[in-house]
Amino acid sequence: MSHAPVSERHEDPAVRVEALEALLVEKGLVDPSVVDEVIEHYETNVGPLNGAKVIARAWVDPAYRARLLHDATKAIAELGFGGPEGHMVIAVENSPSVHNVVVCTLCSCYPWSVLGLPPAWYKSPAYRSRMVAEPRAVLREMGLDLPQVLRVRVWDSSAEARYLVLPERPAGTEGMDERELATLVTRDAMIGVARALGPATAGTHA
Amino acid sequence: MSPEAGIDADIEGPVSPPRDNGEIVFAAPWERRAFGLVIALCRAGACEWESFRRRLVARIAQDESRPYWSSWAAALEDVLADVNALTRGETDARHLAFLARPHGHDHHH
Repeated sequence: MSHAPVSERHEDPAVRVEALEALLVEKGLVDPSVVDEVIEHYETNVGPLNGAKVIARAWVDPAYRARLLHDATKAIAELGFGGPEGHMVIAVENSPSVHNVVVCTLCSCYPWSVLGLPPAWYKSPAYRSRMVAEPRAVLREMGLDLPQVLRVRVWDSSAEARYLVLPERPAGTEGMDERELATLVTRDAMIGVARALGPATAGTHA
Repeated sequence: MSPEAGIDADIEGPVSPPRDNGEIVFAAPWERRAFGLVIALCRAGACEWESFRRRLVARIAQDESRPYWSSWAAALEDVLADVNALTRGETDARHLAFLARPHGHDHHH
């Protein structure tokens, strides 16, 4: 048996969290059914699909695109996404000369309202430190080899600002409507570690 | 219902969530629970998100090798102590009491 204080033992965090919840419920600080609701909401309702809809709208509607780049929090709310954990979101636009990528070097700030919960690698110390120091190398390892002429901008998320990448609309998608376009927009494209999918993959992605 | 209720109607439609984007976010049930507790406490006004975030940043900086959700749970305890909602001693006592339960105790989660 360890002699460390019980709060410093990590072998069974499940029991620790269970104890926390039991006490919080007894004190009336938390309602377990609200906890269930929150978890279910984030696991099932809030996902990269929300962000994909935002991006697809921006691709088909130049006025919406302008509003998104001017005030993304407001433009995202227009589509009904946001809520108490929405925070301020800033959209950054990829172009033929600039590629944007998002990181949070301090913790895991992330635009939950449009992307859901962050993937495990986004929270890893390696991604958080290396993306700032050597973005091209990290992107190449993640399967995105960018030409040298393309400028890479790395955005560090914080409590004040959470970034969302507006990827370039793929070539050959002129005939696609907004719903079809949304299927091309992946979470990774909106973090900036991938491009949007090509039209050949439409429909197979969902 | 929350303002996000409108999202639900679209969830099963032709642009249903790309499931191959859905990496496992939580490796264990306690991680989901710790996440849900923080958000529920913030919504109820029992703690402030920004205060929690500062504690989380500090916990992560304190030990980069600690698993993310362990830092999250530690930050939750920190912020509860900050606002005098729950002391470390109270949690220790309950933690020990739960550990002393007979083997095979039926966990709630």
